[in-house]
Amino acid sequence: MREILDEFVAAGPALQRPALRALLTLARRPRGQALLASLPLAQQAADSLVAMAYYDDPARSRALGWDAEAVVRRGRELRHREGRP
Amino acid sequence: MCVVGAGAGGAVVAAELAEGGADVIVLEQGPDHDADRFTARPAQMLPRLYREGGQTVTLGDPPIGLPLGRGLGGTTLVNSGTCFRTPPEVLERWHREFGLELDEPVMRPHFERVERALSVSEVTPELAGNNAAVARRGAERLGWSHGYLRRNAKGCVGSGVCAFGCPTSAKQHTGITYIPRARAAGARILTGVDVRKVLVNRGRGVGVQARDAEVRAGTVIVAAGTINTPVLLARSGLAGESGQLGRNLSLHPATAALARMDEIVDMARGVPQSFYVDEFSREGIMFEGIAGPPSYVALSLPLSGARHAEVMSQYRHLVQLGLMVSDGSHGRVHGLAGHPVVNYSLSAEDLKKFRTGLARIDQLLRAAGAREVFLPLGPGIRPETAQARDLKLVGFHPLGTARADSRREHGVVDGSLKLHGVDGVYVADGSVVPSALGVNPQLTIMALATRLAFSLLGKPAQPTP
Repeated sequence: MREILDEFVAAGPALQRPALRALLTLARRPRGQALLASLPLAQQAADSLVAMAYYDDPARSRALGWDAEAVVRRGRELRHREGRP
Repeated sequence: MCVVGAGAGGAVVAAELAEGGADVIVLEQGPDHDADRFTARPAQMLPRLYREGGQTVTLGDPPIGLPLGRGLGGTTLVNSGTCFRTPPEVLERWHREFGLELDEPVMRPHFERVERALSVSEVTPELAGNNAAVARRGAERLGWSHGYLRRNAKGCVGSGVCAFGCPTSAKQHTGITYIPRARAAGARILTGVDVRKVLVNRGRGVGVQARDAEVRAGTVIVAAGTINTPVLLARSGLAGESGQLGRNLSLHPATAALARMDEIVDMARGVPQSFYVDEFSREGIMFEGIAGPPSYVALSLPLSGARHAEVMSQYRHLVQLGLMVSDGSHGRVHGLAGHPVVNYSLSAEDLKKFRTGLARIDQLLRAAGAREVFLPLGPGIRPETAQARDLKLVGFHPLGTARADSRREHGVVDGSLKLHGVDGVYVADGSVVPSALGVNPQLTIMALATRLAFSLLGKPAQPTP
C-alpha cells in the first residue's frame, strides 16, 4: 500500500508533493490522526488517499466483488484473439 | 507540417493531413502506452496515464481537480468515451458572439467523418449495466428526460475501467485509431518530446524548438491541450496581442453522488458512463452515469474512518451518478517557471446550479429506491446552503484558453483556427472552443481538427474516412 501511495505522490505536481507527503505521514500515526481530526477537510483528503490505496489491493477488491486480475486477463485474451491493439 | 500533441485534436489533424498527402511529424510529450500494462487498478494507473498523476488542481474557490491524460491519445485515452455533437444552440451562439461560420451544415460532414472513424454508437441497456439501470429507474419514476449515451467503442464488454486504461482496447481513443492511420500514411510519430517554443520568422511559423531538437516546418499545429497550449504560445511570445490568451477558461465542473441500494448493483460491471439525464440541460445541469472499482469509489466517498469502511463493505450495493454544470465562470491559465498555473473560481450563478443539481440528484437516487444517499458535501451541509468551498469538484472538460473569434482583438485564433497575426501557426485542441458546451467536448474538438486538416489540404471533407 505504501508503494502505491509513494508512486502516486511522486507523480504529482512538484509543489504539492511535500504537503501530500506530510498529510499521509500524519494519517499513518496515531498522534497525526488526532491532529487531523481537528481539520476535517485535510482528514478527508488523507483518508480518501489511504482508502484508495487500501482498496486497490487485488485481494481486498476481490472480496468486494471486483476482480481486477480477471478483467485484465479477459481483456488480454480478447485483444490477442481478435488482433486488437 | 509539425503537430504538437497527439490527443483529440493533434492525432486527428495529423492523420487527416498525412492521408491527404502532407509530410507530417507529430511530437508528443507523453509515452506510447501499451495495453498489456493496464492493470484495471485505479491507484496504479493514475500515475501512469495522467498528467501529474491526475493531481493537477486549480487555484481558487473551490480548488478543482483537472484529470488530464498524457501520451498518445491524450485525454481520449482516459475519458469515458462519451460522444456528443456540439449542440446547435452553441454553434448559433458562436456565430452570433464570435463571428464563427460553424453552423450545423458546415460541421455535419466533419462530425460524420469522426463518428465513422471512431465507431460511435449508442450503448445498449445490457452493456450499460446496473448502475445505469438504477439511474434510469429514478428518471422514469420522476418523468425526467433521459437516454443512453453514444460512445466511441467497438467490441466493448463493459470492463468498467475506461478512465484507467481500457483492457480490451474497445474504446477507440485516438492513440489506437488516428495515430496508427497517421503512421500508416507516412507520418513520423515521436513520443517523449517536450516542445518548448514555436519558432516564428517574419510573421510566419517556421518550426518548433524542443528540449533536445529543433524541427523545421512550414506549418505548425499546436495541439498541446487547453491547459498547456496557452503556456507554450506565451513562452513563444505569440498570441498576446488580444489579451485573451490563457483567459476564458471553462471547465464543465462536475461532482458525483453515491447511494446505497437494497439490490446488488456491481457498478463497475458495464460501461461506467452510459446513461444521461438531460431534463435540466437548459439550466446548464446534466447528469451522467459514472462508476468504477472499489479503490476509485473509496477515493470519492465523502466519509471518513469507520463510517467509510462500513459503506465500502457495501460496495456491491453502491450506485453513482455524476452532475456536470455548464459553467459561465471563467478561469485563467498562465505559466510559472514553465508550468501552467490555473486560476478558476466558481461564480455565484454556477454555485446555484450545483445546489439545484445536488438536490435533484438526491431526488433521483431516492426515487430509484436508494436507502442512503451520499452527496459530495461535508457533514451537516445541505445542497441549498452549500458554499463553493463545500463542493468537491473535478473539471473534466477544460476549454477556451486560445479561443476562436473572427475579430483579432477578441480572439487568439480566427475561424480557420490560424493564430491572428501569424501565418502558418494553427491551434487544434480544446483551447480554441470559445464557450462552454454543456456536453462532453471530444467530438467537437475532433470535428474542428478534421475541418482544419481539410482546409489546409484545400479540399472538402467526405463523411467516410
